[in-house]
Amino acid sequence: MTSTAAHTVGRSATHGWEDITSWVRQRGVYIALALVILYNVIFTAHFNQWDTVQLLFAQMPPVLIVSMGMALVIGTGGIDLSVGATMAIASAVLAKFVAPASSHGLGSPIALAIAMALLAGLAVGVFNGTVVAVGRVQPIVATLSLLVAGRGVALVITGGALVELFDPFLKVVRQGQVFGIADVMIVAAAIAVVVSVLVRRTTLGYRLVAIGGNRRAAVLAGVPVRSTLITVYAISGVFAAVAGLIATARLRASDPSYIGLLMELSAITAVVVGGTPLKGGQVRVLGTVAGAVLMQLLQTTLLAHNIPNSVSEMVEALIIVAAVYIQRPSRSAA
Amino acid sequence: MKIRRTAATVTVASMTLLFSCGSSKTTSTASTSANPATTAAGTAGTAAGTATTTSAATAATSAGTAAAAGGDIPSAIKAAGGTSKIAGAPAAGIEAQYGPICKGADLGIGKIDFTKDTIGWAQSEKEANPFRIASTKSQVDEAKKRNIKLLTTNAQSDAQQENTDIKGMIDKGAKAIIFSPINSTGLGDAIAYAKSKHVAMIPVDRNITGVKGCADVGPQLGSDFVLQGRRAADAMIKATGGTAKLAILLGASGVNVTDDRTAGFKAELKDKNASGIQIVFEQTADFTREKGKSVTETLLQAHPDVTAIYAENDEMGLGALAALDDKGMSGIAKVHIVSIDGTKGAVQAIVDGNFDAVIESNPAYGPTAFAALDAYVNGDGAPAVTITTDNQYDKSNAQQALDSGTAY
Repeated sequence: MTSTAAHTVGRSATHGWEDITSWVRQRGVYIALALVILYNVIFTAHFNQWDTVQLLFAQMPPVLIVSMGMALVIGTGGIDLSVGATMAIASAVLAKFVAPASSHGLGSPIALAIAMALLAGLAVGVFNGTVVAVGRVQPIVATLSLLVAGRGVALVITGGALVELFDPFLKVVRQGQVFGIADVMIVAAAIAVVVSVLVRRTTLGYRLVAIGGNRRAAVLAGVPVRSTLITVYAISGVFAAVAGLIATARLRASDPSYIGLLMELSAITAVVVGGTPLKGGQVRVLGTVAGAVLMQLLQTTLLAHNIPNSVSEMVEALIIVAAVYIQRPSRSAA
Repeated sequence: MKIRRTAATVTVASMTLLFSCGSSKTTSTASTSANPATTAAGTAGTAAGTATTTSAATAATSAGTAAAAGGDIPSAIKAAGGTSKIAGAPAAGIEAQYGPICKGADLGIGKIDFTKDTIGWAQSEKEANPFRIASTKSQVDEAKKRNIKLLTTNAQSDAQQENTDIKGMIDKGAKAIIFSPINSTGLGDAIAYAKSKHVAMIPVDRNITGVKGCADVGPQLGSDFVLQGRRAADAMIKATGGTAKLAILLGASGVNVTDDRTAGFKAELKDKNASGIQIVFEQTADFTREKGKSVTETLLQAHPDVTAIYAENDEMGLGALAALDDKGMSGIAKVHIVSIDGTKGAVQAIVDGNFDAVIESNPAYGPTAFAALDAYVNGDGAPAVTITTDNQYDKSNAQQALDSGTAY
């Protein structure tokens, strides 16, 4: 929105330059992504292979799916810090239901276990949404409580330790492919498409962006703020649960201490690097996808070149700052 | 030994067994039938006894031992306050001991009546992995066995919290604190408080460094993490025949265990002239299975020719195994794996033909810690630093370790 404003202002003054900066500003994340890919193509051994794409498709889905929910929440001007803990809860619930009695589980069918895990995610989301919308607690505080407490809940559910899971369906989730593309990636892509349509074409999409743009104006315009917010946080909770299930299948185990650890930060980074402003009123789905891919690829690149961890963290931070700086609202628009 | 084995009922507690089996070897003839508490105390007595009579014994036996006693104290031991190696064969279950001999009375710590007084146990990390579960269980079981009132806390990986936990237990009347430090430094606050209140402090697993022997904390019990790294390197050389493209999965950054296991491993490769083992990749996986898997996936992508992985704990090794299995590369015929800890999952992986060797890091300090505490406050004192013996598993003994429950 802001960049379109810049564009119009620029037209009257320094036409060409403003056009270019505006173009760059809108596409900072894609440019950064293109540069990282170019670097890899030239300098990283074994990068130009289908294997590279397959690895990305195997590792990306959890962060991608969580980022989609996060983008919606941030669109309303909120934030959801509980997503990582929600992944852990979903993972723990799955383990509790599907694990055999010998591992302190209930030995339920996998379908029931998955349904219960998704339900747990939904419950967390509805709780967050209610606290934010009805309780009028600031989102950062409301979801912080579950960031802190949620992992504890997950640990209580599994009894603390990592639980190995051998259900054959989890192997299908882990290894299933259609035409060489991981099933989980297809699920993640489908979710991204659905979210994109939701934002652009549905009433819920218009409403959530309206709330993020100006909550009071939205209320005056008759937008049902409470139900919209609860729905959005619920979606985020369910997405986090889906991500938690995929992460569990990938690990072949439920490890509530570590599943989804710091996922909230990865997701927020993907959304912000993708060009969605934290103050809300805008959701950039494709940008978020690009942001998530960029961060994942960056980590893979630094690992592949065996860069020490301390240096990697600084490089990642620099790229985040650079990408966000490029996309900042121009002064003429502000 | 038999008696102890039947006494423990829970499998997770079995590490306790390994340890007590070891230490009871020396005392078995004298006191197998005695009640367990006196047996363990007896062991400490033996250890302390060896220590106090050292000088005379060394002089009498051989000049070689005397030389060993004089020089060559590992830097980690010096940092923990050890000044001289105590010569003579240490009790079973103990690798080495270093003086001076600490006595609680020197810090104004009074005698402890185990039938009445309260003891505190401060765990540093969540009991969410086998090592921490076994570590706490060992302390709780030993206290139960000796009928001691035990307070317990868990600092959830937060050094400040561990300071608070320890001080809190002292305020509640604990006469001694057995604790697993979150790191070698950072607990100065709690240590100073304990000193001012004349409360005995027994660190286990990781040593407190930067202390003068016996002047700040009581006897320290720990594994030699550098030695664990060295033994892992030896196992790796044996497994690979001295030729490999090797990846190292490092533990969490900024923790001395990680540094020690890395330094020991590399030093041993160098000392053994294993130049055929080429380290192509070295990245942290935070001691977790999840990171172990994702980092290994990237490793396999960037270095498809990797032939061996050294994982600085079992969980990362099992994560690496999952990544290899996804690619159809599991099995030591394709990629060798050596890891450290000695958990059931990893020892099972040896049996399954996926790991070559596992170096144990023994978490069961309960019996030795209480024995050392007893000697420290009520007896003749205990050595400033005690390094306990760690097992090692490979194809030859892995199944047996699972059957007997020594793998935790």
